[in-house]
Amino acid sequence: MTISGLGPHGERAAPPERVSLLPDDRTAAKAAGWRVAVVLHTLESDWAKQQLAGMMGIFGDCGAAVIDVVDCAFSPDMQVSELDRLISQSPDAIVSLPVANEQVAAAHRRVSEAGIKLVLLDNAPTGLLPGKDYTALVSSDNFGLGKIAAVGLSAHVPDGAKVGVLGFAADFFATNEREIAFTKWLQVNRPDIIPRIHRFARIEDAAAAADDLLSANPDLAGLFVVWDTPALAAATRLAERGATMPVATVDLGEAAAIALAQSDSFCCIAAQQPFLQGIAAAQTVILCLLGRPVPAWIALPGIGVTRDNVVESFQRIWRQPAPREVLRLLGLSRGK
Amino acid sequence: MPLTAQDLTESPRPRGKGRPRTVETAAPSLVELLNLVRTGAANTRQELERQSEFGRAVVADRLTMLGDLGLVDESELGTATGGRAPRLVRFAARRAAILVATLDQTAIGVGVADLSGKLLTEHHEAADLTAPPAELAERLTALFRWSMERHAPQGGIWGISLSVPGAVQGATEGDFLTATPPVLPAWEGFPLVETLTRDFGVPVWMRSSVETMTMGELHAGAAIGTRSMLFLKVGRRIGAGIVCDGQLYRGAHGAAGLIGSLPVTSGGRSGPLDALAGSDMIQREGLSAAQDGRSPMLADIQRRGGEITAIEVSQAAQIGDPASVAILTKAGHLIGQVVATLANALNPELIVLSGSIVQTNDILLAALREAVYGASHPFVTRDLRIIRSQMGSSAGLVGAARVASEQLFAPSFLKEWVMQGSPLAHPAFAALQDRLSQTAPPPPPPRARTGQELPR
Repeated sequence: MTISGLGPHGERAAPPERVSLLPDDRTAAKAAGWRVAVVLHTLESDWAKQQLAGMMGIFGDCGAAVIDVVDCAFSPDMQVSELDRLISQSPDAIVSLPVANEQVAAAHRRVSEAGIKLVLLDNAPTGLLPGKDYTALVSSDNFGLGKIAAVGLSAHVPDGAKVGVLGFAADFFATNEREIAFTKWLQVNRPDIIPRIHRFARIEDAAAAADDLLSANPDLAGLFVVWDTPALAAATRLAERGATMPVATVDLGEAAAIALAQSDSFCCIAAQQPFLQGIAAAQTVILCLLGRPVPAWIALPGIGVTRDNVVESFQRIWRQPAPREVLRLLGLSRGK
Repeated sequence: MPLTAQDLTESPRPRGKGRPRTVETAAPSLVELLNLVRTGAANTRQELERQSEFGRAVVADRLTMLGDLGLVDESELGTATGGRAPRLVRFAARRAAILVATLDQTAIGVGVADLSGKLLTEHHEAADLTAPPAELAERLTALFRWSMERHAPQGGIWGISLSVPGAVQGATEGDFLTATPPVLPAWEGFPLVETLTRDFGVPVWMRSSVETMTMGELHAGAAIGTRSMLFLKVGRRIGAGIVCDGQLYRGAHGAAGLIGSLPVTSGGRSGPLDALAGSDMIQREGLSAAQDGRSPMLADIQRRGGEITAIEVSQAAQIGDPASVAILTKAGHLIGQVVATLANALNPELIVLSGSIVQTNDILLAALREAVYGASHPFVTRDLRIIRSQMGSSAGLVGAARVASEQLFAPSFLKEWVMQGSPLAHPAFAALQDRLSQTAPPPPPPRARTGQELPR
C-alpha cells in the first residue's frame, strides 16, 4: 500500500519495516535496561489503548521499563508541565504525542536538550527538526486517510450537493492533513460538491459544531469529521434534528464499527493501524537508543472500511474479534 | 489601534513657513530605529539612543509613532540593573504575516510566517510541476487560503514569497516582482505573480529553491551562526548555495552556484553534472538495473506495478541493494569532485546536503564525503563538516520567509511605507495594483468530474 502524504517537513515516508528489530538488537536492548516514558493526548480512546498495547509488547520484549504513561487530557499546559516533570526523572527516551503546535514546541525541545531521546507520534510542532529536536515521527498516512474518506463519502453524495467538514481547531499535523486531503480530493474529482468547513476546539463541542453547520446549511448532504469520537457525537446530534446523511470519518473505534454496521449514516471509515503504529514507535525508540540511524518519518498506510469489510478490518486492526453487536447487525452472530 | 495614513499625514496643527512636516523628516529615523529593534541590536530606549545617536526626545517620539502603527511593543519589562527595570522594546512580529511556498519538481509546500521570518505552520504535499500552470496556481491559492483562514493574524498578510526550482531572472535585491519571470518552460506565458498579487493584494517575491534553502539552513538549521557554508541541493538539477561572511552570495544576477552545468566525465561519457549525477540519471540507471536483472529489489517493485523513481533507487540502496548502492555511489563521487573544487576555492566550515535523494539514504552522502576529502587540501578539510540537512523542504519555506522579511524591512523599501504603517501602501505597489486591476485574470483550469482521481 502506498503513502499519499508527505511528512511535516516534506519528507518521503519510510515504511515501518525500516525499523524492524533483529534478535541482536533485542539482546543488546535487554542488556542495557532502559527506562522509557510515554506521553499521550488521552488514554481514554480505543486508538490510545491500542497504541499503548503495541508499544508495551515491544518494550517488554526488549527489557525496557515503562516508568510512566501520562494522560494529558488534550491540554497543552498539562503536557508542558508533565514533560518538565519527566525530564527531571531522566528517562532514556520519551514517546510523546504533542497535543498542540507552538504552545508545546519549547517543552519538547527541552526533552532533547536534556539528552533524552524523543520519538513523536502523529504531530511535529512547527520549528522542531528531526535529528536535532526529536529523533523521528511515527504516524499514519493522514493525507491518505483524508483521501480514503473523500472517495468513500463521494459515492453517496448527489451532484452539486453541499458536504460539511468538521475539522479540529487545534493546529495539529494529523487532523490538518486529513482535512486538506479530503477537500483536495473533492476539488479535483468532484468539483460539483460544495464543501462547508466548520471546526471544533474540544470533543465536547463537536455536537454543537454540527448544529451550527446544519443551521447554516440546511441542505447539507454529507459530513466528514476528522476522527471518530466527535463524528459519533455529530451524527447523533444531526439525527436528533432529523437530518440523516452519509458520514465518513477516520479511526475504527468500537462504537464507530457498530455505527458502520448499522449503516444508518456512517458509510466509510478510513482506519488507522494504531497497534502496528505502537509497535513501530517502540521499535524506533529501541533502535535510536542503540545508536542506529532511523528515518525522520515512519508512516503506516490507512485502510478503507465499509460495512462490507468491517469485521475483517476490525480483526486486522485491533487484533481482537469484532464487537458482538457488529456481528449481530451483520447477521454473523445469531445467538443472543 | 494602529494609526491610519490620514492620522499621520493630516495634522490639524499649524506649522511654520518652510518648515518640513514631521512626517517628512521622521521616516529615516523610524526606519533606523525599527530595524535596530527588529534585528535585536537594541531592545531598550537607552540602547536605541546609544546605537542610533538620536536624542532621548526623538527616540521617545518615534517609538510612540511605531507603537501607534503597531510595529513595536513596549509592554514588557526587562531586568533592573540598579534602578527601575527598563521597558523592553520588542518588534511586533505578529503585526502581520507572510505567506510562503516552495514549488519543487514533485512537491508543493506552503506555510505562514511572522514578520521576523519565523515559520508558524507548514504543509507539504505531492505535486507535479509539469501540470498546467493554471492548475498549480489554483492549488497554491487554495492552500494559501486554507493557511490564512487558520493562521493569519488580524493584521492580515503583507507579502508572498515563493521558492522555485531554478534561478529567477530579474529578482534583484529589494524589488517585489511586477511580472512573472521565466523560470520553467511549462510556466511560460502564465501570469503566476500577477495572479497572486491580484488575488491576495500583496507584493510577491521569488527566489530559487537553492537560495531559499540556503537561507533557511543559515537562519534555522544546522548552519546557525556559521560564517561560511556550502549548501547543495541534489535533485533533477544540482545547485549550490554559497554563504560568505554570514551572508548569502547571489552573484551579479542571482545565478551563483549553478554547478549542475559544470562538465564531468563518468565511464567514458562527458556531460553536465545534472545529467550524469542528478535524479534523472539515478532513475534511468535504476530502471535499467531492474530490467537487466542486476537489481532484483527494483525488479520486484516493477513486478508489483510500482513506479521506479530516484526515490525508490535511493531507498533500495539504503537497504543494501548492490546495484542501487553502485548508482548512488557513482552520483556521490561525481558531485563530490565538483564540490571539492568549490571547497578548495571557498574553504567553508560546513557543507550541507539536501534534496529527497539525500534524505532517503546514506550512500550518496558517504560517497560525496569520500570524494571531497580525497580531492581537497588538508587545511580545507581539517575542520570541515559535511552533513545532511535535517530541515528537508522546511528550509525552503523558512528561507522564503526570510527573503520577504528582509525585503519588507530593507531601509530603501521601508522608508516608502513606514509612515503609513503597512507595505501595502507603498507607492510602487499601489501603482502595480492599479495596473493589474485594469487587466483580466487568467481563466480557471478546466474541470471534469471523473469519479476517479485525475492522473496527476
